[in-house]
Formats: sequence, C-alpha cells, structure tokens
Amino acid sequence: MSDETDELPEGVETRRRTRWSGLVGVTLARWRQRATGTTVGRIASTVGAVALTIAFLLVVTGIALALADGGATSRDDADVRITPTEGSTLSSVDGVEGPRLGATNERAGAIRSHDGVEHASPVLVETARLESTDGDPRTVRLVGVVPDGESRTVAGLPTDRLEPGDSHYANGSYDGPRNGEIVLSRTAADRLGASDGDELAVSRGPMQSNETAVTVTVAAVGDAGGEGGEGGAPIALVHASELQSISGAADGQLADRVLVWGNSDTAQSAATDAYPDASVEIAGRTDPTALFEDGLAFATSVIALIVGVTICASFVATTMGMTVDEDRRTLAVLESIGVPTRGRLAVVAISTGITTFVGSLVGIALGAGGIMGVNAIASATIAPGAVAQFHPLFVPYAIAVALLSGLVAVPYPLAVAARTSVLSEVGR
Amino acid sequence: MFNRSVQDSRSPARDRTDERESTTAVRLEGVTHRYGSSGGRFRSGDERTVTALRDVSFDVPTGTIVGLEGPSGSGKSTILHAVAGLLVPTEGSVELRDTDLAALSDGERTRMRRHHIGIVFQRFHLLPSLSARANVALPLVQAGVPRSDRRERATDLLEAVGLGDRTTHLPGELSGGERQRVAIARALSTDPDVIVADEPTGELDTATGGDVLELLTDIGRDRAVLVASHDAATLSVADRVITLRDGRVDDVR
Repeated sequence: MSDETDELPEGVETRRRTRWSGLVGVTLARWRQRATGTTVGRIASTVGAVALTIAFLLVVTGIALALADGGATSRDDADVRITPTEGSTLSSVDGVEGPRLGATNERAGAIRSHDGVEHASPVLVETARLESTDGDPRTVRLVGVVPDGESRTVAGLPTDRLEPGDSHYANGSYDGPRNGEIVLSRTAADRLGASDGDELAVSRGPMQSNETAVTVTVAAVGDAGGEGGEGGAPIALVHASELQSISGAADGQLADRVLVWGNSDTAQSAATDAYPDASVEIAGRTDPTALFEDGLAFATSVIALIVGVTICASFVATTMGMTVDEDRRTLAVLESIGVPTRGRLAVVAISTGITTFVGSLVGIALGAGGIMGVNAIASATIAPGAVAQFHPLFVPYAIAVALLSGLVAVPYPLAVAARTSVLSEVGR
Repeated sequence: MFNRSVQDSRSPARDRTDERESTTAVRLEGVTHRYGSSGGRFRSGDERTVTALRDVSFDVPTGTIVGLEGPSGSGKSTILHAVAGLLVPTEGSVELRDTDLAALSDGERTRMRRHHIGIVFQRFHLLPSLSARANVALPLVQAGVPRSDRRERATDLLEAVGLGDRTTHLPGELSGGERQRVAIARALSTDPDVIVADEPTGELDTATGGDVLELLTDIGRDRAVLVASHDAATLSVADRVITLRDGRVDDVR
C-alpha cells in the first residue's frame, strides 16, 4: 500500500509542516467566513460571552490593583515614586512593616539638586496615638514629609500647610528646632475632636500610650477639597524628621518611599541615580506586583480569575459544543476525504482557540472601557480619584486567561467531534 | 460542454496511467455486512441486527464504470462505503489495488482513502464557508501539498469541469449542477484510482445530470468508477450494471 513516507521520504517533515499550516489556514479561512457570513450569530455569541467575562475580569482586577496600589496614605501627586525592592539588601532594611529605604533625607536632598526636579521628599508612614486635651486617645496614621511651600498633595493632604523645610533634620543630626505642626484629615480631626490651633499629644504606638513625650499643634484640617478628608481614613501630615525621631527611624534616615516632583524623565533618572537598586515608578504606572503584597487585593483578583475562567470556559464549552454539533457534517466530509481523527480534532481545537482569542481582544477593549466607566462613576459619586487602574500587562493576562478557558473548554467540543459518525452524516 | 477533459488535469507528478491499465482496482470477495453486529461493549448480545450485504463478490477493473442498481435498502450505499473504507464488512474482503482494507488500521484506511479514493455524494457535501477552489483543494491539504500547488491544481480541475470562472464562489452561490461538478473536482484532486459516486445525479435536473454523467464517463476512461443509482440514465453510462436485491447480487449485465 501507499504510505506517506513511501512517496516523499526526504520531505516527510516538510510535508507535515505544510499539512499543519494548511489545516490552520483552512480553519482560519473557514472561521472568518463563518464569523462574517454563514454562522455569524453563533460565533458572535461565543466571542461576546468570552469578551464579557474577560472585561469583567479586567475591571475587577483593575479595582484590585488600585486597591493594592492605593490606600489613603499612598494618594499623592508626585511624578515619580521610589519604593524599596523586596529583598534588596542595598536599599532596604527589613522591619515589621516591610522593607524601607535608607538615607532618605540625604538622598532626597541630592535628588532635589538635579535640574528638572522641582522637589523630593521622603515619606515615612507610622501609626501613632494622638490625644487632644479634652478627648480620648485615637490611633492615626502619621505621614512624615518634607514640605517645600508649594502646593503638593501627599496622603491626600496638602503639604503647603506645614512650614516649608525640615528644620529638625539639621543635616542628619536631628537636633534642630521642631516645628511641631500637624495637618489632620477631616476624619482624624473629627475623631480627635480637634481643630486648627489645638495641641495634641503624640505617643509612638497604640500599645505605648503612656510614653507621651511630644506635642504638636494642628496647623490645618483637610477641608472638603482635600482628598484625605473624603477617604474616611484618620491620617495626618507631619514633618518627616520629627516623625523619624519619634518612631526611631532617624538612625538610618528611614522612610517608606521617596516622592519626586518635576519632569518625569529627569526625576526618574535622578531617582535611579540615588537608589539604583530600588523600584522607581513613574506616576500613573502601577506596579502589578503590588497585587501580591496586598492580601485583599490579591484575594479579589484571584477570585475574579477563578470566576472568569469558570464562566468563560462554561460559555466556550457550551457554545462551541453546539457549534460542533451543528458542524458534524463538515467533520464527516473531512473524514471522507481522508483527514484523520487528529486533523479533524485540530480543526475543532483551532476554531475554539480563534474564537477565544478574538473574544479576549474584544474583552480587553471592553475591560479598558469598563475601567474608565467605573472611574467616571466613582469620581462622580463616592471616590475622590481612580478606583480602578489599567495596566499594559492586562493585555497578555487577558489573552492568557481566555486561552486557558479555551483549553479547559476544548475537551467538550472535541468529545462531540470525536463521536461523529461519518456514515450517519453523509449517508442519505 | 467542458473546457477540457479531466483526463488532461492529471497531476504530472503522479501520472499512473500505465500502471492502471488492465488491473483490477477493486475486488469484493464474499462480502457480508450486518449493521448492529459490531457494537460496543455495552450493547446487549441479543441486539437485533440488519443484514445489508450477503456474500457479495465482484471486481471493478481500471478503466471501467460499474453501476449499482436496486431498490432502497438493497445494499448499494453499503458497498460504496465498504469500498471507500468508511466501514469494515462483517465478513469477506474488500481489496483496493490488492490491499485488503479489513486488514488495515483505521489510520491506514484513512490514508488509503486519501490517496486512492474519491467520493462523490448525492448532496455534494461541500463546506459552505469555503470557496469552490478551497473545497477542491481540501484533500490536498492533508496530503501535505504546498499552498501554491494546491491552488494551481484546484484551479486546473475547476477549469476542467467547466467552472474556471467560479473558483472564488461559495457553494451557496452555485447551482446544483455546479456544486456537483465542484464535488467531482474535489474527488479528483488527489488523482485517485477509484471514484465512488452515490446517486451523483439524484439532486439534479435531467440536463444538468447529463453534464455530470458526461464528466463521469470522461473520468471513467482511466479510473475505476463505481456508481450507485436508481436512475436509468445514470446507469446507462456504466460498462457493467450490478443489480442488488436484499443485499445479494441479483443480476449482472
């Protein structure tokens, strides 16, 4: 009998490649024709189902990403953020709240000296207890910054309400005069029952409320225009060096991050020079690895992924199964002209793959639109800024999830295809 | 009627005319087939079976058109399916170019069908979302023929069956006779030794059916052609007609 290898022994591999590329080409041509003409409804419904689930996944993941990246203390208008890289021994000291940057006051000063950089400030976040003279002690997140007198926002609060500069720092000796000022968020002020000019006693932590040593004067309360007041978080701004002294972070001039204002490229370059081993991020670009560091955000995105894959795979399995069921005659014809089982199943699998891929592309567009819509609605109603973020990595992520769903779904249409009887389909 | 003979459309690389002359392309020997008898493991032993063929023997030499006639259920289609390797008879042997199809695996039978058999269905069974040329080229895809060669071969065949100006048309844009001619071109694309045609004119009017028969006659000059039909005009092009009744060969003329 004739065998493939008998006919062209030197070209077996070439023929195999030609055969598979031919099968892919025929399937693509057939899919395109079906999607635009012969079975537009079925293909459109499958693509739509995939697109909707992918869009849902992206919106939820975008919200989770914003959740991980955000938090009231992270809300600022800086152009570049320097944060410690996890595990970097050169730029961080591991503490109970994770790694921090060292020598921040000094290096922020160095960054400020670059042309094109308007300002740079270390940002230290510590939990402390504040107590007004006529109220109970309350836990507040203190955010230490170096103000420069310009209108800037850190932790959603205006820094220009603090005295410009950081006199207590005194070139690293931490013995300069204290300003003793604090800018409270509306929520913090309400809880403390404090207003402008009130004096507050600061203790280092919630468990050490009796070690009061410092008092601060309320310089301002974040008003309705201040974002920190609307977020509902009890936050307050103080001078960085004063918070470092209170918290014990003065020794290494530690801070959680350094914010830089100015031209993004120049600021990024200056930041990288100062902290070559730290993560330097331009504003508006969120680091997706933040998702893994925030428990709630990570759980939200994982649940969205599981739900997305499950729904997507169910839709794809059902609709492609129905499509293949209607398509049994085609599979029977392929068998009658000598296409083996593997080739016929490949046609079904490739069709399913194309459908999910196209669905994922539509879903990415819908998801990006959905994120913009969520942000628009949130801004108009409850939130001061973006509650969902889109990241370029969402594109490969969405495609990978859709293809994974297709992979999960494909056994069903394959099973339907494999059960096709050529005799019952092409016989009379 | 047609632009040129389909005999001229043979693939030069696979010209086997000399080899075909005076050989038996198909031989059936004591073929019996029962539907329902080759069921799976979950079928009960006393399941009712239907005997479609009973001890059928005949052969089809190359260059011969053999017609199969008989009432519905007489076994015509079962013989065609057995010759095409789409089913394995319960008993007996079906030899295609001296190879017993029953002794082959499913994959080997599929390969045998791809290289040596062309099938023409009553209802054409073209893929509706592929152009006429893509339909004709389809068997060549699995044969591993490069794309440009596939297109050239398919275009040549469509010209040979008089459809050179319909290459990019979808089946839905063609008449019944044109579709059947596309189906015949598809059956010829791998240059097979045997063509089996099941009621090839069953869906066509008399004039169009005549064109298709002319084409089949042309094909039958250097191939073995097996045609099943109720239609006297179709059977008239056969060199030999086998009459079947209740699965048996009732008459040969």
